[in-house]
Amino acid sequence: MSQIVLCGRGGQGIVFLTRLIGDIATAKGLNVISAETHGMAVRGGSINSCVKIGEYKSSLVRWGKADFLISLDENETENNRHFLKENGMILENSTSGSTSETVRIDATGLARELGMAQLENVVTLGMASTLSGFPLTTDEIRQGLMLDPRDRVRQMNLKALEMGIAAHPSNLV
Amino acid sequence: MGNEAIARGIIEAGCSVATAYPGTPSSEILESLTRWKKEMGHNIYLEWSINEKVAFEVAYGASLAGARSAVTMKMVGLNVASDPYLSATYLGVRGGMVLIVADDPGPHSSQTEQDSRFFAWLAKAPVLDPSTPAEALQMIRRAYELSEKYEVPVMLRPCLRVCHSRQNVTLNDPVDSTYAGPFKKNWTRWAAIPKFRLALHAELNKKLEKMTQEEPECSLFLEHQGSSDKLAIITSGSVSSHVFDLIREEPQFAMFNVFRINMPFPANKAALQSIVDNHQKTLVIEETYPVIELQIDDRRKLVGRLSGLVPSQGELTPEVVEDVILEAIGEKPRTRPDVQIKARRPSLCAGCPHRSSFFMLRKVFDKGIYPGDIGCYTLGTNMGAVDTCLCMGASIGMASGFTHAQLEESRPPVVATIGDSTFFHAGIPALINAVHNKASFTLVLMDNSVTAMTGGQVTPASEQLADGSEGTPVDIEAMIRACGVKFLEVVDPYNFEELQASFERSYEYSVNKSMGVSVIITRRPCIRVKGVQLSSDRYTVLDNCERCMTCIRDLECPAISFEKESKSVVIDSDTCSGCGFCVSVCPCGSITRKVS
Repeated sequence: MSQIVLCGRGGQGIVFLTRLIGDIATAKGLNVISAETHGMAVRGGSINSCVKIGEYKSSLVRWGKADFLISLDENETENNRHFLKENGMILENSTSGSTSETVRIDATGLARELGMAQLENVVTLGMASTLSGFPLTTDEIRQGLMLDPRDRVRQMNLKALEMGIAAHPSNLV
Repeated sequence: MGNEAIARGIIEAGCSVATAYPGTPSSEILESLTRWKKEMGHNIYLEWSINEKVAFEVAYGASLAGARSAVTMKMVGLNVASDPYLSATYLGVRGGMVLIVADDPGPHSSQTEQDSRFFAWLAKAPVLDPSTPAEALQMIRRAYELSEKYEVPVMLRPCLRVCHSRQNVTLNDPVDSTYAGPFKKNWTRWAAIPKFRLALHAELNKKLEKMTQEEPECSLFLEHQGSSDKLAIITSGSVSSHVFDLIREEPQFAMFNVFRINMPFPANKAALQSIVDNHQKTLVIEETYPVIELQIDDRRKLVGRLSGLVPSQGELTPEVVEDVILEAIGEKPRTRPDVQIKARRPSLCAGCPHRSSFFMLRKVFDKGIYPGDIGCYTLGTNMGAVDTCLCMGASIGMASGFTHAQLEESRPPVVATIGDSTFFHAGIPALINAVHNKASFTLVLMDNSVTAMTGGQVTPASEQLADGSEGTPVDIEAMIRACGVKFLEVVDPYNFEELQASFERSYEYSVNKSMGVSVIITRRPCIRVKGVQLSSDRYTVLDNCERCMTCIRDLECPAISFEKESKSVVIDSDTCSGCGFCVSVCPCGSITRKVS
């Protein structure tokens, strides 16, 4: 049983991550239900989505129940903090340093090094996969991304994933 | 995704004709069908229709021809399709016909929170209310069985949380397309005059009665067995999934019986009443209107929307549902953190051709009245260029009203804006009406060649059809001229000078000389359309910037922002799409192309 809330701005590829996590968990034989934002908000507005792995029927994460909050935009973290459970973990795309509650990664900066700022979502997921208790392993995500039939997209995503994994600071509290 | 599951259900049920007009949260149903048509080599006929009314009529015609058909839309689309729907339930169908209408409690991406199940009640036709994507898939097959057994169109009403939820589902093999045999002429039914309609109405009433007696979906099933008769919960559809999880996760709720009904109309009223009679209290939780509740005659032991316990507006999120159950058993709502959400507003994309049209509209028609319409370009509100948004196509009708109501001494110019897809959908009759009745205003038809807001579906002007095959593109210019418009110009919205000159000529024609409706088509493809070449040019702000904020306040480009620390205007190269319109907009000449 695991519940994740992802948040950010429309256009950052949150729906892509939601779908990817769902597909990989399904391939593992787990039951997954997730909720996404579509429509007008995707034109750069605030976006969040929920992923619930386990025996759930409702696709929405209740307040105070999320194990992880993955935020692709630091300005959106506070809008979604109430979903996080006590001792839940926040992973935030930000240039600031990490704290005991919030792990931060400059995913946009790293993605820009790859020449495509849009890869910030996959970089962040790479980092997420290294966090203790995250429901998917780095290898499962790697396998999932390898299924993309588009050569260039697959290669860029895999590079971004490795970058996120490598960014994991071993000195985290 | 729920919409993919619904599409899968349509394919599995052997449907041969599916039509739709896009609208959140329903658009992905037909999109998934087009994908699978290709992947599975299926021979289903698919179309993005011009509007929901026509989509319904095409699917209905196919049903009378003997085929299984489906039509999908969002709930406000059913307002447009209500005319054929309410008549079709009297006449009935031949091949099974399923109408899928996606509701949007919240509302997240719509004008209203209307409950399509009420429309089904008004039309006197059955409606199924799925709670999850997996259930929606199964219900489609059942909907076809019911539609053919009772010869009525059957509605499936998924809410947003079904449409846009993803879940692992079990797939079945598609059955062969079924065929009810060739159309049999019978004018007393298919072209019934009022005398025969009375008989058909009586027949429909009998069908509903039989349904409530024979079909298990009209009755309740016990979804969770509790241990007490203190409280029963009756629920349905998407919100029932929140009820189900709450009952399992909160030990204090486990004692209550939870009943679900899959067909909220027509409900078996005796079954509903017996639950109420056999419990001390019964709580009804449904979205968005009290459809089940109103079918319970003795409501003395009932709480829900009619008693004021359940909020009458807004999405029933798990938190709302939890508090409603607590209140029903006389407990206080949970103390929750005071969440102050500072939501970022959506905005037209950087480089969106609509942005330059709106900028010029504000510049040339200063202090005008700007009736707007439905699409991405409703976001022209951010730029002060959209004053009204009523429903599809209303910009043109309302512009007429604004001009006819104005007093001679104060005549602000009226400029309506509409997209190409919305123009086809409901704008054409309004334009003919405006021209014929001598209204004088400017219509900016922002033609980006697709239905952009909902994901870039084709329009009647497209060269391709829904499934990628070749269609017959309809010429928008010829259409506008045929509406009687004498002033028509087509400009590239990226071209600042031409855009300004064209808007000024229109001002002269419609405002200064009151010569009638002038139409300017601002034509450039949506930057999100596949294959559209975007410039790799990037722009920068020079030191002579006077911080007049024209680019930020009036152009409102998401790539341009004011950096507080350095007190300077900056352009984000990641967000910029290279249109270069800001260079012309800047009054100080301070924006320039970067030399790479």
